[in-house]
Amino acid sequence: MEHLSSKGDVVMDNKTIMSGNQAVGRGFYEAGGRVASSYPGSPTVGILQSIKDNYKDIYSEFSVNEKVALEVGIGASFAGARVLVSMKHVGMNIAADPLMTFTQTKINGGFVLTTGDDPGMSSSQNEQDNRILGKFAHMAVLDPGNSQESLDYTKLAFDLSEKYIMPTMIRITSRVCHSRSIVELSDRVEKEVSGFPNKPEDFAMIPPNTLKKQFTMADRIDKLTVAANDMDINIYEPSPAMRTDVLVVTSGLMYYNYKELGLDYSVFKLGMVYPLPIKKLHQLAKKYKRIIVIEEMMPFIENELKMHGVHCEGKNFFSITGELNTEDIELGLVNAKILKEHTYPIEKPEETVARLPMFCSGCPHRPVFDILKKAKADVIGDIGCYSLAFLDPLNAVNSIISMGASIGIMKGMSKALKSAEKSKPLACVVGDGTFFHSGMTGMLNMLHQMDESENMTVLILNNGTTAMTGGQATSTTKSYSDAGDVDANIPELLHSMGFDRIKTVDQFDYKNAKKVIDEELKHDGFSIVMTTRPCALNFKIKETPFYVDQNICIGCRSCVKTNCPPILMKEYDGHDKLKSSINKDSCVGCSVCAQVCPVGAIKRIEEEA
Amino acid sequence: MTVNIVIAGVGGQGLVLTTKLICDAALRANLDVKSNDVIGLSQRGGKVWGSIRIGPEIYSPNVPPKGADFLLALEPLEGLRYRSSLKDTGKVFMNTSIIPPVPVIMEKEEYPENIEGILALDFEIMALDASEEGHKLGSTKVANTFLVGMLAKNMNIDKNIWHDAIKANVPKKFISMNIEAFDIGYDMV
Repeated sequence: MEHLSSKGDVVMDNKTIMSGNQAVGRGFYEAGGRVASSYPGSPTVGILQSIKDNYKDIYSEFSVNEKVALEVGIGASFAGARVLVSMKHVGMNIAADPLMTFTQTKINGGFVLTTGDDPGMSSSQNEQDNRILGKFAHMAVLDPGNSQESLDYTKLAFDLSEKYIMPTMIRITSRVCHSRSIVELSDRVEKEVSGFPNKPEDFAMIPPNTLKKQFTMADRIDKLTVAANDMDINIYEPSPAMRTDVLVVTSGLMYYNYKELGLDYSVFKLGMVYPLPIKKLHQLAKKYKRIIVIEEMMPFIENELKMHGVHCEGKNFFSITGELNTEDIELGLVNAKILKEHTYPIEKPEETVARLPMFCSGCPHRPVFDILKKAKADVIGDIGCYSLAFLDPLNAVNSIISMGASIGIMKGMSKALKSAEKSKPLACVVGDGTFFHSGMTGMLNMLHQMDESENMTVLILNNGTTAMTGGQATSTTKSYSDAGDVDANIPELLHSMGFDRIKTVDQFDYKNAKKVIDEELKHDGFSIVMTTRPCALNFKIKETPFYVDQNICIGCRSCVKTNCPPILMKEYDGHDKLKSSINKDSCVGCSVCAQVCPVGAIKRIEEEA
Repeated sequence: MTVNIVIAGVGGQGLVLTTKLICDAALRANLDVKSNDVIGLSQRGGKVWGSIRIGPEIYSPNVPPKGADFLLALEPLEGLRYRSSLKDTGKVFMNTSIIPPVPVIMEKEEYPENIEGILALDFEIMALDASEEGHKLGSTKVANTFLVGMLAKNMNIDKNIWHDAIKANVPKKFISMNIEAFDIGYDMV
């Protein structure tokens, strides 16, 4: 039997192919989930996106930040609904405040927090291991290794959450989020929304209510530690060859990567990585000479085992950073003297021309950084597509930390430099999504002990889009299109905070934008510039492309330096010097190159005739 | 037997859709399948790669080092970059249309010459300016489908299954154009 799901994905005999992200969303749907919230961040953005796209019965939102997303989830859980809150690993840092107190409550509706770790940091600024935060919050932590497990564990997580009265964590990794595999679908089970029980002793978390809760949390982890010994997702696979030299303890994708080796050692696959089935592992440990733990990033399972007196080895042989692929696991086993030799060929990466990402054709960030670079400004960066400006050839930002941090960092830097009489002009860039996420508080904080003699400029690059994660709406999207439902006015907001030097510029009017930005960078005092062009990916520019008139071009490369994909120097017949060229198939007609050209050599194609 | 496929290209070339289409064909052929999509920045002109493993039972979605049977090079330089993922007996299906990377645009480095020839020294290669051929059919967006056709010819999955997978995965108005591109790739020898 073949039919199509609402999104057109093929379903055959109840089987379909899903990414790990889609499977978590599906698991939530099947578990009778009612409310889902998230803030877009790689690798988990696809979870809420797929819920939005496929399951219209579920209320879902991309909240303004992860903390708010978690709070929306808390409210829905208090009201008795099953709730899924998803975020990238670093999102949990900001959500940790409500989480650490919420975890003491009686929760009510099942609460699952999915967090995407990023071993290897393919799209993140750090590699933190969130299993530790799960333990920190006295939560069970489940670790799926493929899409079917992502679906099944999500459903199980709701049962655990309600049975043990705790928020439950699904710790998923980038590779599992973005890997597709076959899943079997089931029907949705409807769950009643029980309503909010008015019991302050369980939900108002101040002493004395919190005093008992410390024991409640410890108790549930104790009970889970016992239950873990009999959980179906913790699987012992004895050696088919009855070997007793090695027991491999692993979880998630590491299990599947290990299985590729086709070895005949006993394996213990943990579906739940916190708390561990200590009793069972203790018993098994007696039968084996060595226990080898295979896990990515920190020695979490290893340390838990050691803490409970199970002698094991792990990070002596396996890297503390990056992904552990099958060949890495084999190499670790060789280092552990378990295997004699490394059998996988060493794949030498081809040394050829690098290809790093660049701003898209028509990207509104391009003229801004061209202007900042020409002004030789000291620019503190932030999180978003504009962080790409740190790359060659722009090299236009000097630091990047976390969402919205540029504003506070600029203030601290300015105060310190001033105290040493080393003041200099400083600037920072922040996008609209990042501004609303965590930049607004930093802005208000600017006003405290404001010293008008310090030259600081905040550039707010309002493109109406959470662009880096694939174009989710922000609180200014509505001013660009119907896709958003909030129309926040950033200049008015800042004005009401107490700022008065706020300039708004259209950066595609290059000359004027340069004049304004240069002026504000030079202004001795605090100033704000907001740019207004929307994201070129989400709001496609479809203007007539440009071409280079080879007879006018002087080969100065002003256009090339803006670093736009279609622009390239090339040889023309009858000219000795290289001249610029524009690939009309990828030019969207934004006109920035034509405006930076000092001799007017770049023209719209229609003007050719 | 497990078939390992690596796809390499440039952000924005539609690698995710191509991966999805190939996975779908495998599911329709009743095979196990696992794939990797891009896990980093996907759309902003950086190098991107994905992989697909098809067989009776697949554990890891990752193609082992030098373990790819087929390399779909959506762009020549990316084909060259990922040649090391191929088995000695591996085959390359390549779109010869060039997308210059930043160091080339900035004239710091030269785009490698004769990539097709270099790859042909070590591997069986089938190359086509798929962007140009796609343009002739009506859209450069179907470029990857020519390469999928070449791949399909080398795999043990019925042609009709591939057609069904295309119909289910591409936007309606592009179905016939994609089928045409697929058939051209499939029949190229």
